[in-house]
Amino acid sequence: MNLHSFLQEISQKDGVSGYEDALGSFLAGAFSPLVDEVKKDNLGNCFFYKRGRGEDPPRVMLCAHMDEIGLMVTMMDEKGFLKFTSLGGFDPRTLPGQEVTLYGREPVYGLIGFKPAHLQKEKEKGKAVKMEDLFIDTGLPKEELREKVPVGTVAAIRRNFLSLQGECRAGKALDDRAGVAVLWQCATELARLRHRAEVFMVASVQEEVGTRGAVVSTFGIAPDLGIAIDVCHGSFPGAAEHEVSPLGKGPVITYGPNIHPRIAEKLHETAREYQLPVQKDFSPGPTGTDARAIQVSLEGVPAGLLSIPLRYMHTSVELLDLEDIRSAGRLLAYFIADLSRSFVEGLSCF
Amino acid sequence: MLERGWFNKMTELLKLVEDLTGLSGPSGSEEKIRSFIRKEAEAYGDELFVDALGNLIVVKRNPDGKKILLAAHMDEIGLMVTFIEENGFLRFSPVGGVNNEILSGTKVIFDNGTAGIIGREKLKEKETAGINRFYIDIGAKSKDEALERVKIGETATFYPSFHHMGPRVTAKSLDNRAGCALLLQVLKNLPASLPNEVYFVFTAQEEVGLRGARTVSYRLNPDYALAVDVTRTGDTPEPEFKMDLALGKGPAIKIKDSSVICHPTVVQRMIRAAERINVPFQLEVLERGGTDAGSIHLSREGVPSGALSIPCRYIHTPGEMVDLNDIEGGFSLLVELLKDKW
Repeated sequence: MNLHSFLQEISQKDGVSGYEDALGSFLAGAFSPLVDEVKKDNLGNCFFYKRGRGEDPPRVMLCAHMDEIGLMVTMMDEKGFLKFTSLGGFDPRTLPGQEVTLYGREPVYGLIGFKPAHLQKEKEKGKAVKMEDLFIDTGLPKEELREKVPVGTVAAIRRNFLSLQGECRAGKALDDRAGVAVLWQCATELARLRHRAEVFMVASVQEEVGTRGAVVSTFGIAPDLGIAIDVCHGSFPGAAEHEVSPLGKGPVITYGPNIHPRIAEKLHETAREYQLPVQKDFSPGPTGTDARAIQVSLEGVPAGLLSIPLRYMHTSVELLDLEDIRSAGRLLAYFIADLSRSFVEGLSCF
Repeated sequence: MLERGWFNKMTELLKLVEDLTGLSGPSGSEEKIRSFIRKEAEAYGDELFVDALGNLIVVKRNPDGKKILLAAHMDEIGLMVTFIEENGFLRFSPVGGVNNEILSGTKVIFDNGTAGIIGREKLKEKETAGINRFYIDIGAKSKDEALERVKIGETATFYPSFHHMGPRVTAKSLDNRAGCALLLQVLKNLPASLPNEVYFVFTAQEEVGLRGARTVSYRLNPDYALAVDVTRTGDTPEPEFKMDLALGKGPAIKIKDSSVICHPTVVQRMIRAAERINVPFQLEVLERGGTDAGSIHLSREGVPSGALSIPCRYIHTPGEMVDLNDIEGGFSLLVELLKDKW
């Protein structure tokens, strides 16, 4: 399998926050030839473990969340349309016209309808739509719908993966399946490198609802250091330059209070040494990623964050450059290959 | 019409709910409610203890079974005195989610029995009242007189207001004394031996951020957990939150709220138990609000968790309302669930 087909495969699979079980099982299969051990924890986090060589190996955790934002049915109206809430942050303006798969007693396809411009009242025109005014239409008669799609049914957005020009790819859930693809690339690279460190790669659950999977997986692993791999905003027309990073210029290394400075620096040095492109970003508070949870676990875990630039975050057309994923995977592999006990011990010397 | 024999079945539960809602226990000051529950529970578990945060834990031992934690919070929201005016009026801060809209004219009581009425300053047109515009009047004529009865830092709760009309009960603090009553009834009516080890926990400080549950789940390290709490309904005229949940249609099996996405295997286990004994139930998607399962499921390496909810109207007001049939249904569901080997 190559990176393109792996990313395509996992983008098109569904794994809404809290409902990642099937996706996790697929990932377990995909990673098992590349690692020494595969495990799922109580909440469904998937651990891909690679042994280190030598004594007293540093324990390094790489964490990319596998969950995606999704929808959940809250009630059915009297005519058989479904009202819903979101799991994770959707901008309701991106929802009209989307197709969904409802995971009821059996999978049911539906779509999110919208009142045509012709029928909108004066005061509705030009107004942003609210989630409470949207509904899912399945076409099923009421009685059948009630049977198949009870309250609490989770729904994922449907979207085919798109190959655009060059290395550009677009699709749903690339936040953060791109990060999972980085783990896969890293595992592939590590297979031909000697490394002292023990590597715990985690495809974490429930990031989109509050980095919940990372809270418990970090506790379980108790790593010496942890690096979250997530996406950041790619540049596009209308975005302020300081808020975005261009695509294809390499993954982004974050600096700031959430990040241990020596981890960020070492990532940078490694990139320089192996001539891999990277970019920098500064985040003043706790980042909105698993790094936030990793840092304050247990007695405190030195954290890092590596991000793939991605346009149109939290829509079904998230767009990225495959080359950034490749560079990120290689960077992490070389970073790990070079990790020593003394570097890890140095992280707590200020 | 009520079923024949309904009163016999319900008298005990009704009395328990009345007693539980008659006591005050604002978050962080749960002494009174805890000692009442302790007396009720004492005869039933294999072991009973209170931890450093004031959680009350009753254990039904079975070292060969899975460890199941059941959590019902015993604390309630309250008003903490922050300042006393020269003329004897008390200013206060909310303890937990207090809704300002219902404060004017509300009667409150302090731990030492001092009662008071909440008043509000005149508002400008279209002004919405912040908590600083309210005060408690305990009938004191001066600051010194007020200080004889109440100290800064003491917390008042709504005045007991229990009343029942048929199967429906209204009272303050049904959130979550209704859950405490349900859990006590389960504890008292379990078979002598169970296939699981069960921890009945009456938690502290839920209303201020699921705090008691956090430490008690760290300590007990359970395999599974269930919170027992109240939830909103959507069955009143133009409800604030539209949802498919009503009073009297059975207990609710939680799917998600703001604090937790219930573990699918726990949810399925609960649904199967309800279907086995033919107890009507509802499915709950609560868009705003949380419960103890929120902190429990993130304890240590993660705890697959769910929640059993009692539908409740007017949550966090002096007149919360539940239907005893929903508690009764929840009781049957929970007993069946615990007889199951996990």
